[in-house]
Amino acid sequence: MPKFFTLFFKYNNYLLFVVCCSISLLFIKLQNDDTLENLRTGSIEFSAAVNEKLTNITYLLNLDKENERLMRVNADLLTRTINLETTAVDERNRSKILTDSTFNASGFIMARVVDRKFSDRENMLLINAGWKNGIKKDMTVLVPEGLVGRVIAVSEHYAKVLPVINTDFKVSVVSDSSNTMGILSWNGGQESIAQVEQVPISSRLKLNEHMVTSDFSTFSTRGIPVGRVVRITPDKLFCTIDLRLAVDFSSLTQVLIAPLKIEAEKAAIANESALIEQLP
Amino acid sequence: MTTKLFFSIVFLCIGTLLQEFFLPHIALFQVSPDIMTIFIVFIAITVDQKRSTSFGFAAGILTGIFSGNMGLNMLARTIEGFIAGYFHIPEESHATSRQKTRRFYMAILAACFCGNAVMSAGYNPLGLTPAYRIIVLGFLESLFTLMLALILNWLFLRKSFAD
Repeated sequence: MPKFFTLFFKYNNYLLFVVCCSISLLFIKLQNDDTLENLRTGSIEFSAAVNEKLTNITYLLNLDKENERLMRVNADLLTRTINLETTAVDERNRSKILTDSTFNASGFIMARVVDRKFSDRENMLLINAGWKNGIKKDMTVLVPEGLVGRVIAVSEHYAKVLPVINTDFKVSVVSDSSNTMGILSWNGGQESIAQVEQVPISSRLKLNEHMVTSDFSTFSTRGIPVGRVVRITPDKLFCTIDLRLAVDFSSLTQVLIAPLKIEAEKAAIANESALIEQLP
Repeated sequence: MTTKLFFSIVFLCIGTLLQEFFLPHIALFQVSPDIMTIFIVFIAITVDQKRSTSFGFAAGILTGIFSGNMGLNMLARTIEGFIAGYFHIPEESHATSRQKTRRFYMAILAACFCGNAVMSAGYNPLGLTPAYRIIVLGFLESLFTLMLALILNWLFLRKSFAD
């Protein structure tokens, strides 16, 4: 026994080493044990949290360099944006001219606004084209930007236009994205803002959506831009929509008059004529 | 003695945190110096082999908790501590400061290389060949650790290795 203890004390370095190695090997074997797994998970969380803080500190220390880099990126992006915007404006102007010539070519009549009456009693436009130029009642008046109004009276050389910004004017409109329909009217007040009525509260209409004339309109061809939604006010059953009109009425000088929409059959069935009875 | 042990444990904890959170940021070729090896070797040189083996084991537990490879870290560090123990300089020896320092560096190279070899044999996250891991990366890590040891020796440990 004393010999054993002598040996034990003499070689306890090795014993300690063997014990430590055995425990280590045991841990290697129990690598996937739940307790060790939990410990590992906890340490990873701790490690990640500390590393995040350290990264933040490093980020703060390198903020000057980062700012400098971002400034360079900003300058580069700004240059590209300016170039793109310039190109886009050039392209827009070019297509606007092209579009205008298409209007002329496809039978649109050009006219000049010779008088405008914006008062509390009357709100009308007078154009220098009459029945001699082919203008008829109910023709649509527009500019490339959008709908201007509707011809309501024609003389030999002049025609009277009921503009969108008249409380008597109404036109069926539809939104380009959500296909929400409504009736456009103008309630007075700001001349650049009109209202769209009869839009159900359940509609998916969003702000900044563009609205165009719909096929339901009795006078206007469909697809003429009207304006952009700027406010949606929900009521009990319907929403009240405020629309920023596409046309600037304060600077209106030249207009186009679209050919009359011919939909006799549609008008007839809408008026309950006996057309259906004629069918075999 | 108790105070010395307490400070050793504190340094062990600080060393673990440095090893896990600071030193990876100064890694070169995916290899970072190992401050824990320096600590274990220092214990081995100044105290004895038993203490260095025990501290190696403890260091393995702490680094293993953070790295997620507890068993292998414990084994590698225990072996490091045990090997470094062979470079122990007894207090009654008449070794000069230069001799002590040289022994310290040799112990670091030996312990670091062996510890790295054990780790490489058991864990290969990058799928490198064992020979490359053991020889090239082991050599690199030993070299980086030696460089760190040179700096630490110059800054803090010179007094401990005085004549």
